[in-house]
Amino acid sequence: MNSNCPINEHLNRRSLLKSSLVTASGASLMNWGGLFSSDAHAAEAGKKNKHCILIWLNGGCSQFETFDMKIGRPTGGLFRDISTNTGESRVCELMPNIAQRMDKLAVIRSMKTSQIDHPGGIYLMHTGYQETAAVRFPEIGAIVAKYCGEKKSDLPNFVKISSNGNAGAGIIGPQYSPFSLDKDGRLPTFSESYLATPIETRRHGLRDFMEERYAKAHKAEPARMHRESYDRARRLQNVRQAFDVDSEWEKYRDRYGNSKLGRRLMTARCLVEAGVSFVEVGQSGYDTHADNFEGHKSLVPTMDIGWAALLDDLSERGLLQDTLVVWMGEIGRTPRINNRSGRDHYVRSWSTALAGAGVKGGIVYGESDKDGIDVKDKPVTEGDFFGTVYTALGINPLEENYAGVRPIPLAPFGHTVVKEILA
Amino acid sequence: MEISKPAHIWQLSFDGDWPTSVAFLGSSRKLAAGSRDGRIFVWDLPESPPESQEKDTPPDAAPVRQLVGHENGVTHLIATDDGKTLISSSLDRTIRIWDVNAEATGKGDVILDKPARERLSNRKSAAEKAAILEAPGATVETIGSQHTLEGHKDWIKALGISADGRRLISGDDTCLTIVWNLQTKKQIASWHGYQRVWVTSAALSPDGKTAFVGEFAGRRSSFDVPAAQARLWDAQKGQMTLDLLKVWTPTVKDEDRVDSYGYGQAWGKLLSRGLVCARFSPDGTLLAVGQGGETDKGQIHLVNVESGKIERTVSGHQSGACDVRFSADGRLVLSSGRDTVIRVCQVADGKEIATLGKARGGQFKDWFYGIAISPDEQFVAAADIAGLVHVWQLNS
Amino acid sequence: MKSFHFVAGFVCVAAVAASTVVADADELRASIDQRIEAAWQVNKVKQAEPATDAEFLRRVFLDLHGVIPSREEAAAFLDDASPDKRSKLIDTLLEHPRFAIHQSDVWDLIYFTRNPPGYDTDKRQGFQNWLREQFENDVPYNEWVKSILRAEGDTVKNGSPMFYVMYKSQPEDATEAITQKFLGIQLQCARCHDHPFEEWKQTDFYGFAGFLSRLQVVDVGTVDKQKAYAIGEMNTGDVLFTGPVTEQKRGQKGEPVKPKFLGGDPLVEPELPEDVKDPRNFPNGKQPPAPHFSRKNALADWITSPDNPYFARAAANRIWAQFMGKGIVHPVDNLSPANPPCHPELLDELSKELVAHKFDLKWLIREIVNSRAYQLSASGDNTEAMPLWFERARYRPLSAEELFESWLLASGYQDAHKASGKEPEDRFNVRGFTWDYMRRFFGRPNDGMGNFQGGMQEHLYLNNGQIHQLISKDKGSLYDYLATSESPMEERVERLFLQVLSRKPDAEETAQFVTHLSAEDDQRNRIHEAIWTLMSCSEFRFNH
Repeated sequence: MNSNCPINEHLNRRSLLKSSLVTASGASLMNWGGLFSSDAHAAEAGKKNKHCILIWLNGGCSQFETFDMKIGRPTGGLFRDISTNTGESRVCELMPNIAQRMDKLAVIRSMKTSQIDHPGGIYLMHTGYQETAAVRFPEIGAIVAKYCGEKKSDLPNFVKISSNGNAGAGIIGPQYSPFSLDKDGRLPTFSESYLATPIETRRHGLRDFMEERYAKAHKAEPARMHRESYDRARRLQNVRQAFDVDSEWEKYRDRYGNSKLGRRLMTARCLVEAGVSFVEVGQSGYDTHADNFEGHKSLVPTMDIGWAALLDDLSERGLLQDTLVVWMGEIGRTPRINNRSGRDHYVRSWSTALAGAGVKGGIVYGESDKDGIDVKDKPVTEGDFFGTVYTALGINPLEENYAGVRPIPLAPFGHTVVKEILA
Repeated sequence: MEISKPAHIWQLSFDGDWPTSVAFLGSSRKLAAGSRDGRIFVWDLPESPPESQEKDTPPDAAPVRQLVGHENGVTHLIATDDGKTLISSSLDRTIRIWDVNAEATGKGDVILDKPARERLSNRKSAAEKAAILEAPGATVETIGSQHTLEGHKDWIKALGISADGRRLISGDDTCLTIVWNLQTKKQIASWHGYQRVWVTSAALSPDGKTAFVGEFAGRRSSFDVPAAQARLWDAQKGQMTLDLLKVWTPTVKDEDRVDSYGYGQAWGKLLSRGLVCARFSPDGTLLAVGQGGETDKGQIHLVNVESGKIERTVSGHQSGACDVRFSADGRLVLSSGRDTVIRVCQVADGKEIATLGKARGGQFKDWFYGIAISPDEQFVAAADIAGLVHVWQLNS
Repeated sequence: MKSFHFVAGFVCVAAVAASTVVADADELRASIDQRIEAAWQVNKVKQAEPATDAEFLRRVFLDLHGVIPSREEAAAFLDDASPDKRSKLIDTLLEHPRFAIHQSDVWDLIYFTRNPPGYDTDKRQGFQNWLREQFENDVPYNEWVKSILRAEGDTVKNGSPMFYVMYKSQPEDATEAITQKFLGIQLQCARCHDHPFEEWKQTDFYGFAGFLSRLQVVDVGTVDKQKAYAIGEMNTGDVLFTGPVTEQKRGQKGEPVKPKFLGGDPLVEPELPEDVKDPRNFPNGKQPPAPHFSRKNALADWITSPDNPYFARAAANRIWAQFMGKGIVHPVDNLSPANPPCHPELLDELSKELVAHKFDLKWLIREIVNSRAYQLSASGDNTEAMPLWFERARYRPLSAEELFESWLLASGYQDAHKASGKEPEDRFNVRGFTWDYMRRFFGRPNDGMGNFQGGMQEHLYLNNGQIHQLISKDKGSLYDYLATSESPMEERVERLFLQVLSRKPDAEETAQFVTHLSAEDDQRNRIHEAIWTLMSCSEFRFNH
């Protein structure tokens, strides 16, 4: 593996960023700002910033085909388990790579959540809350962007690559809205100027003339916010190279598995390395009401390779200790195998996994009963889960935002942080 | 094959992780069935069926033998013409060859009719209930396999045999296809398809010289790899002779035959979610292939082996086809599917002339996973995932 | 300042025969200013200068019509020398069809928000048309609210039942929404426990929910090619109350709670005739029958009664906030004793007068926008978006609807379209333009407390998005004028400013834009840039 990632790889990337900083200051007559502001650099150097990568298994990955196998039971299905590098736990044969990285993982096998359908589950497992008419709850990505994000970074702090969920930034505001890349991890529509640089510069000059005059006479906060976000939008042009991972992909293609998901995961690593605080990567197709086993056989191995490569890559770059990798979908799948060889939606007992910043590795937390029908030990609700994730990231889950007059804690009232898996 | 007034004469219980395959063993009263939990049983049925214990349901019978060896689901069963040898493929990555009449090596007690017992004991007194539920099951002799063919590294979901019984073809989920010499148990040829694509069906021509292999990738998440294939091969040399999909999509340029949306739309119509069953006609001129997966139509293409062209598309199993057979005279094609029906169609004009079984349940039916025709062509059997093996007499 | 009094008095004389309301009107706007100015003095606050004509013009157009003035309207107003031109303009705007269109947009969003729950609530043309008619016909506020709460008829033909469709089988959610939106009361805490620092108990919450627990949303089929729903009400059924959430036991059934008016008496219900039997569900496809006694209607009557202690106050405060930036009680949906008003007497007076004027919103709006407080400048050193003592004009971002329709006017898209003789387009369905993007990027520019943030996404859209499609080059457009006019460039720049920013440029601006547009090279892009600059700048983005 190491031969794929020479040690100077990391340095190369750094120097690339540095040289672009010079380029950017060269362009500073346009007032575009640098790649990073100096305090962003400082924070990064001190490694105080935490990051989070969410691997989103859209449709609901089966716990029986990953971490909670029931070999020999009527609910067990067609796959067999394999040993892992922790010696104790066993995982599905579809995940040979993750099996060798179980020492890095905290697996929760006792998820017990409240929303069994996709829209409700996707909302719930992005926000920690059930959707209501009264409050626009923010997604985890927006929360991490707000509390871990580098405010002055030129890069967006909440990036989604081909994933789901539309709660967005909700009550914490559009400053923290997701910046969605397309399914191949490329920049979305509208993010690139269609103008040649001289024209772009000229039109910006004229607009700047108007803005400066206006700012002189009008000191109100909204106008200032408006100017600042305009600047951020322009500075994004400076860091477009952070999204251009074509050449990086040539180097890492095999390691991450030659798949679209692998490329998205590698893009997530590149963005975190460049300073983005939250990246969500989606893999779709887990809603296997029919042909569950074929479905998981086609999805899990790709995910296994990419996920394992991501953990290694982050770890070799010294980024894993500050980056929490969250692995989950919106729901689990039924113990019963239906007459389409499928498994349906299930939330009484299912699995998620964490690795990296703030969590212990080599842990399997909680347990389901012998057929996987109910949690036998240590149930973890959506509230507990988000409370734990935020704590691992150094964010106080009781921190409040407001929906009008109503205080909304980051993780719902009454949750319990799962301390056993925290480092 | 003649069919007039077919009658459902046996309904054999095979409770567990569902029957997938069935084969007649040289006679219309001896048959084997395999299931997705890896078990294979052999039944010796009496000449005339007894009175059924349940109203409107054909009689049940207990198996006499169990073939012990597979550690994961059985996917196909093929019997030789003399009925002495049974060949099974499995998700445990092996192919096993059984001497069906070998001396027993042990004995076992099995209960395969639990759902039927529960139905019968319903509304009975506690004592009667217990008596029914706890009655001893069938005593079966057990035997092990004669040979194990090893070489596959993943689930084997495709198995076929040549009409002369000399060659076997098998395919797995690493996209490896192997042609075997059944006498020597050695490999004649083997070849790989694309990575992360599965072999979903395989068949040998009657003379064993030509092979058909169907491939499918469950999820199109890799770059530049066509996600489904239907190809003819020289079974001796392991060389492709005809890319059927190219014949069927003449307007697509070769460079566009990659994992793209446009191409996916094109082949999706033809192959659905992979061709899951395939059989050559007895004279070797036609190939029947069935569309699998959760598809509306689940049809059978009849392909001219010479030209590769689809001559006719027949039948149609809502939610997908599962298995296909030709009658010995090549006049009829029988197919089963995810609609709990065996459909019998005329090759000449595609007309459906008979159906066996009927759609049951709600929106989603159980499946008739595998079918078998008795040597005298008087009986047809189906493996039903509801935990049953059905036998019909074609002319009652 | 005196001229206002004079003008008002003049109008009074002229209109005295037609209406006796005018004298009161005069009193209220004066009273507003008196009370606001008194508070400045007490709190030693320095107020901003009065708004210039141009500032007032753009603000009042956007507030009353939801769109900037056309070039002609702007020029006419700015060039008008008459001293009463502001109040005359207000009167004209209030009688224009756009007033009903915009006000119904505003209230529709208050009720439904950008992402309403429930089926088909995002396709609610029936409701929107109905609401617009209420404004067109000057239906008193309490009457149209009563129609919403009584929810008679269906959602297509009648429209108003759509409000309850959002809360299908969710009487608790409906309780939260109704108390907040119509009464300015935050009852949601009491859903799970007695309110920690207010008078509300859980029994108040469930007493309120008891009015709504018998409602069912009934699919009545297709009306005018749209899916229609009606609100049915059963004869029986009560809310079951189980006590504080934390003390609940699994499987606990709970005690039935009778409906109770908030802060008042229990509902007195007539005896239900014997042998009344409800169906389990109302059958689809037909209008459900009325119950023997309607709890829902009893609630609607109580809420909208002039005697209701919360209703008029909540409405007056909301209208005030709509035009003055924030409520006298802020936020507007929390009229709690723990959240006192900044100008208590003023709120009392507004509420009392609103009742006295039979919930005539147009009258109240006229008084507010005629006040000096409304007509202050937006410039100055105060950085607050909504200054506490209303000492400077407030800032609010244009809504997606306002922005879009204003762009169409600013760029001359509308003029060009008219000139082309093509069929008029739907409001938000313009060729080559994706309305959904506007909703996405401009629909919710605020955080949970209503503070503007304006993310990067909106600028990416402004810089690179479909706004450029709206800068039409066709005949009749602003671009076409700038490109083809023979007039001196100074004149052209003046028209550019007038059409986009509804004001004339000052000398520096004229110089800058004349230079920009007079350069020989790259004429086409330069014109486009000049229009885009004014359409995307802060001055355009906000109503200030």
